[in-house]
Amino acid sequence: MQKENSHIMRIRATAPAIRSRRVAGAALIAALGLAASACAGGGTTSTASTASGSPLPTVTGPVTITVADAYTATSSLGKTFAKEITAFEAKYPNITVKSVPEANYGALETKLKAEVAAGQEPTIGQGYESFADQLETSGKIVPISTLAGTKTPAQLSTFYTGVQKDLYLPDGTLAMWPIGKSLQVIFYNSAMLSADGLTAATDWNTFATDLEAASKNGVTGITIDPSAQTSGEEWLEELAASNGSQPYAADGSPQFTSSAMVKALQYLQNLKSKGALATGTNYPGETALGGQKGLADISSSAGYYYENQAVGGKFKLTTTAVPQTDEMAGGNFFVFSSATAQQQAAAWQFLQYETSPAAQAVWAAGTGYLPVTAQALTQPAMSSYLTENPWVSQIIGGLNTAFTDPPQEWVDDCGTLLATALQAGLSGTNATSALNTAQTACLQKKQADS
Amino acid sequence: MAETVAPPAGVSQSTAPAPRPRTRRSARDFRNTPMGWLYSAPAVLIFAGFVIVPTFYTFYVSLWHWNVLNPALSTYKGLGNYRDLFTNVDPTFAQTLLNSLYFTVGMIVLGTGVSLGLALLLMRGGKAMGAARVMVYLPHATPLIATSIIWVWIFNPQFGFANYLLHLLHLPASQWTQSQSTAMPSVILFSVWHEVGFTTLVFLGGLAVISEETGEAARVDGCGPWREFWYVTWPQLRPVTAFIVVITSITSLQAFTQFYLLTSGGGPDNATTTLSFLVYKEGIVLGDTGYGAALAVVLFLITILFTLVRRRTDVGGGGLTS
Repeated sequence: MQKENSHIMRIRATAPAIRSRRVAGAALIAALGLAASACAGGGTTSTASTASGSPLPTVTGPVTITVADAYTATSSLGKTFAKEITAFEAKYPNITVKSVPEANYGALETKLKAEVAAGQEPTIGQGYESFADQLETSGKIVPISTLAGTKTPAQLSTFYTGVQKDLYLPDGTLAMWPIGKSLQVIFYNSAMLSADGLTAATDWNTFATDLEAASKNGVTGITIDPSAQTSGEEWLEELAASNGSQPYAADGSPQFTSSAMVKALQYLQNLKSKGALATGTNYPGETALGGQKGLADISSSAGYYYENQAVGGKFKLTTTAVPQTDEMAGGNFFVFSSATAQQQAAAWQFLQYETSPAAQAVWAAGTGYLPVTAQALTQPAMSSYLTENPWVSQIIGGLNTAFTDPPQEWVDDCGTLLATALQAGLSGTNATSALNTAQTACLQKKQADS
Repeated sequence: MAETVAPPAGVSQSTAPAPRPRTRRSARDFRNTPMGWLYSAPAVLIFAGFVIVPTFYTFYVSLWHWNVLNPALSTYKGLGNYRDLFTNVDPTFAQTLLNSLYFTVGMIVLGTGVSLGLALLLMRGGKAMGAARVMVYLPHATPLIATSIIWVWIFNPQFGFANYLLHLLHLPASQWTQSQSTAMPSVILFSVWHEVGFTTLVFLGGLAVISEETGEAARVDGCGPWREFWYVTWPQLRPVTAFIVVITSITSLQAFTQFYLLTSGGGPDNATTTLSFLVYKEGIVLGDTGYGAALAVVLFLITILFTLVRRRTDVGGGGLTS
């Protein structure tokens, strides 16, 4: 473990405090509980950081930090996070960490927006890259490089390369810090695979053949939720990337009308027309797999515990990496600039602790997320987990090669539009037409946000 | 009416001044006193804080490309957000307006028809009918959010109870909320199930006070049940029907929960993206608060229009026999 408390932190002034009468009025109205967060305005908050060049503060007295996360207390995520917090507080008795969880990233983002608008930010927030970009351009978060006093904090180079790249914003700012990452994996009903004489696919064409072969007697090969960005839409992006073109260019421009994307949507349409793909809501793939009505479910590796719960011991799960190109997911942490210097110092201490090999091992074994550093794999807490789940060792190298959506703020919005195109395509709309509509709408979002 | 009494003849009003009249105006006058304002202040402040100010603020926000995270970075767009109503795609404003009207008309026609039919069936008394009335009203008393989640499973194409029923009846399975063509009818079906208890109750109230003599006279003159309903009963229920139609219109335009839960994301190819859902999607999910506010203003104006229609026609305020 690294000696996090030996770091000397340098916190410079970040965004200047911008105050105006309009902002003050907005804050007042937000306090009145104005029309949900959509209409709430809020005041900006000045940073509590020290002037540029001054020494980085260390935690000198008792300090409490709040972490707004997506780990509900009753889930395996929440329970493991609580365990990590307890261990951290034991090591750093001056720091108290309060977790304020939401059920998912969507709800968390909405809540954080409202809190920022009302000037009531937590110390640490969690979310995806495009949200961090919005926060950074609005002057609401303090760069990690500022907290660390360097653009290359010691732990950074130990992360998988895909994880490292995921922490930067379009302007090159190191703005986020990870806790765990996930890759898409395929969960198979082993009994059904054997009964049909099938094997786990290593390319998308074989996967389609397997799904079609298994679709009989009330079984549908796979069931997806096309309205959710974390399910069907992510699969669509992986298919497109496997066909040679990612959905977005590096500058965030949509490439929805590329032949790779059209081919990807047609692949899914074809599966549906052959009765090998069904659609639903509320984790339908998990339900179908657990109910022995589906051969496979494509989902996040972090969903491993939920898949097992759905299966309930009725059959053995076979877990494999998705064929060809995979997409990495998992939100990052960021620190709000409204936190006091002491809180920011404590927050950085906490973030470093969370990515230490020992803490990563506990986190991965307890949640199904993949550790962000290979050093965690040799930790005692990880050994039995890896023995029981050999698929983790098989797929984890994907964190070096998996792609992620670029961090521009409109990209998240465009994911919603792509999900709509997927729904349209699976409802009978021509693939090219559905993707053209999404492309036009995404360009409108890009123009509005640029 | 004033309670003053005219002085007897021959008595001069100047020599015997009449006592100060006690009128109902005194009650109204109290409301204009400082104490009157003081008593009403809490309600006025709450109403202003949670309704009036946010309404005007929404108008204001609709003129900006609003940065909800830092309003100081917002840029003025004037009527730009309103122009975007006609240029934005996926979905178009026209499509969402049509979806809203589709849902509203569906709710009016199906909801009114079903509730009138149920009211006619349930108007007879007795313990069994009383129990039936309770059962019809029960869905309306349940939380919309809870029943919506249950209906997500009822509509599940693979495991749902709805397809199980179709299977028992030897009918082909439906995709329900997963198909572009059946998504909106599915939401209407659920919404009618949830709302029909209330509208049936209103119709029952109307049926309870209409004149029985006219029905008896019609029957004596040889009128059959259908002709009695069409020419005698139905005309007397016109004010109640008009009230239900207007109330259903307003609540349908503002409906959100069932769309959010049953067809998360607005349904296949935006088949169930209504105006009120689009306000949420643009304003909250996609973070385009200014555009979302412009949509909210349009929805507000449409609702105002329906309210004015209600006021102008005085539906719901008059007697049944008016």
